[in-house]
Amino acid sequence: MSLSERVMVIGAGPAGLEAARGVADLDRQVLLVESKGQLGGTPYEHYATLTPHLRETGDVMRAMLDGINSHPLVDVRLETRVVASEGEAGHFRVTLENADGQRTEEEVGAVIVATGFSHFDPGRETQMYGYYEYDDVVTLVDAEHMMQNGRMVRPSTGEPPERVAFIQCVGSRDRQIGNTYCSKVCCGIASKQSIEIKRMLPNAKIFIFYIDMRMYGFWEDQIYWKAQEEHKVNYVRGIVTEIIKKGDKLLIKGEDTTMGRPMEVTMDLVILSVGMEPSRGTLQMGQIFGLPREPHGFLATVGEPLDTVSTPVAGVFVAGAAAGPKDIEDSVSMGGMAAAKAVGLLNRLARALV
Amino acid sequence: MAQKAKPIELDVAVVNGVTLTASANRMFEPRVISEYDLSALDAVTAIDGAQSLGYCYQCGKCTAVCPVDTAGGDYSPRKVFRRTQLGIDLLDSPDLWLCTTCSNCLRVCPKEVNMISIMPAVREQAVADGRAPQELLTAFENTARYGNPLGEPARKRADWIRRAEVPVPIMSQLKAPVDVLWFVECYPAYHPRGKDASVALARVLHALGVDFGILGSEEKCSGDSQRMAGEAGLFEMLAEHNIKVLSKYAFNTVMVTDPHAFNAFRHEYPKHGGDWTTLHYTQYLVPRIAQMELIHPINRRVTFHDPCYLGRHNGEYDAPRELLQAIPGLELVEMGRCRENSYCCGGGGGGMWMDGFTSEHVGMRLSERRVQEALEWGAEVLAVTCPYEVSRFEDAVKSTGNAGLLQVVDIAELLAQSMGLVEARV
Repeated sequence: MSLSERVMVIGAGPAGLEAARGVADLDRQVLLVESKGQLGGTPYEHYATLTPHLRETGDVMRAMLDGINSHPLVDVRLETRVVASEGEAGHFRVTLENADGQRTEEEVGAVIVATGFSHFDPGRETQMYGYYEYDDVVTLVDAEHMMQNGRMVRPSTGEPPERVAFIQCVGSRDRQIGNTYCSKVCCGIASKQSIEIKRMLPNAKIFIFYIDMRMYGFWEDQIYWKAQEEHKVNYVRGIVTEIIKKGDKLLIKGEDTTMGRPMEVTMDLVILSVGMEPSRGTLQMGQIFGLPREPHGFLATVGEPLDTVSTPVAGVFVAGAAAGPKDIEDSVSMGGMAAAKAVGLLNRLARALV
Repeated sequence: MAQKAKPIELDVAVVNGVTLTASANRMFEPRVISEYDLSALDAVTAIDGAQSLGYCYQCGKCTAVCPVDTAGGDYSPRKVFRRTQLGIDLLDSPDLWLCTTCSNCLRVCPKEVNMISIMPAVREQAVADGRAPQELLTAFENTARYGNPLGEPARKRADWIRRAEVPVPIMSQLKAPVDVLWFVECYPAYHPRGKDASVALARVLHALGVDFGILGSEEKCSGDSQRMAGEAGLFEMLAEHNIKVLSKYAFNTVMVTDPHAFNAFRHEYPKHGGDWTTLHYTQYLVPRIAQMELIHPINRRVTFHDPCYLGRHNGEYDAPRELLQAIPGLELVEMGRCRENSYCCGGGGGGMWMDGFTSEHVGMRLSERRVQEALEWGAEVLAVTCPYEVSRFEDAVKSTGNAGLLQVVDIAELLAQSMGLVEARV
């Protein structure tokens, strides 16, 4: 059986796009499969600006998308899903299904899974946040959609909010919910959004209620200090436990832990900093390729911390948030690494055949 | 204890027609119990110089090193930020007057929340509104009227030199250039124990053959502590006066007795046109140790209290210690809090004039805490080199019931004693 020199990349978010570009730039053909109708993944679809520099997502990612669309070695299949796979490293036969239900078989030598995450559904939160009861309780994603439209308002009235609260760690760091991990980016995104809200509504009062502020690396001063010092965002340690309707406002209740006293304050808008969970596509690819999941439910890798992309299945690699909470820097770095590993594997297999 | 924001309680709430009182009704009637009224924080951080109060991220490093908190005051920069964020008006809070500007918090603050800039800026506004402790206002008034916070007559500023029994030339009478212009400052000129140190220092300078002069009654308070306590206008008047007087005379170096004056001459007077090479007297004397005839041993365990404004504010830790170690027989023991981490006597930032006010809000005097520490480390003598400290620590030795167990002396007095120039005090 002849070796397939082609690499399939599943998912066209930052990790998958960078993986596809990397493979193509190493002179191999790429089959890029994306279930949605456009490239760019979750950030491109849902986020108005990217952390930490607050540049518009479209502006930042356009060159990346154009590079893929125009690359002669990349075969892009939008609205297409992987539904089956058999074979082994060097000889995978995968079945694709398009939006019309038509199936095709393709031969590929290696697979990079970059199917990403989904946002935590706040309906599963054990705290009483009332996301599905109160119009003015929204998620980070809902807030990004408002920013994409250039209008930051209270959904209940359509008026700009005067007081906005972010609640951190929604769906993360919680044994009862089953997500014992930190989602890594929400502290930064909440701080980024608070800066954006202050730019749109300079008189708004913004509070971020947190357990620990997790601003690793440069985000500390690029976003956190900037939000606090330049934009006067108020960071209050102590998480909110319940939200109750109070007239046309929301009364949030919790403990102000640095003062050791109860806290009950009204807000116009509450933004839940929802964390990351493996996406449906990630779970499906795990089943189709027989990839084990690590204890938090994401796709397991072998060889960490030195190898972040190899799975226990030879010839199948993972990049981006399919392997756990990642920021965009992590995701593109993994994409590049997965490309190098996949092409390297095909080269080794080719040498073995000679 | 310092002021805390109180939860807002509804005395009475009517729930389904039933009247419920006090906190019992909270479970039935959801309501706001804390406002997070940000207007207080906005008002403070809008004051020029006080912006960095808003930078606090609540790590609490300052609380551990704040001498006010250590002495039982419920106070630290972290707490000041949080109380202000919760809506307490710092301008009306006792918190505004408890800071001694010792700068130990700034030394450890990762966000550079600068109380040395915040406190004078916010206090200035409070003083302008007349919202300051009466004791402090009296000290300001005395300084404005007499040129010294003690309220002593200006014409008696050089009276101490009669006790010196060595020539102490006054520039206005000398009418000749000198090498060293000694800026004596208020407590060394007027306070009985300050005068003891001045006499000792005059005799040491005389024995060394130093060509020096003082300003006498032309000198006024350097004003640095008044500046830190919120009287920037008074400080500027004093600075302009002193600079004008000094500019009349020819000299090579300014030597100061008071670390607070040292701070003013080093950092503030140059902004007002008075830029001279300035040394603290300990710095002036160190290169002359070889010429000092330190012949009488002082067989005592001595510890040294770093003045905040010589050490942390201006980085001089070694000169006082070199002088002490040059004295035969003297055993120098360091306290746990020394040098960069030195504790504060409580006199800085206007604390010198607010002992009554401070005692209402702090468990013990800062000087009492320090004296206890000196005793814990087995010291028999507490050596100082800031004129605020002798009186503060002597009082503290008595008030903590340790009279006779610890003597407080200025380094100048120890040097003069070892040189046989003054009667033995220790």
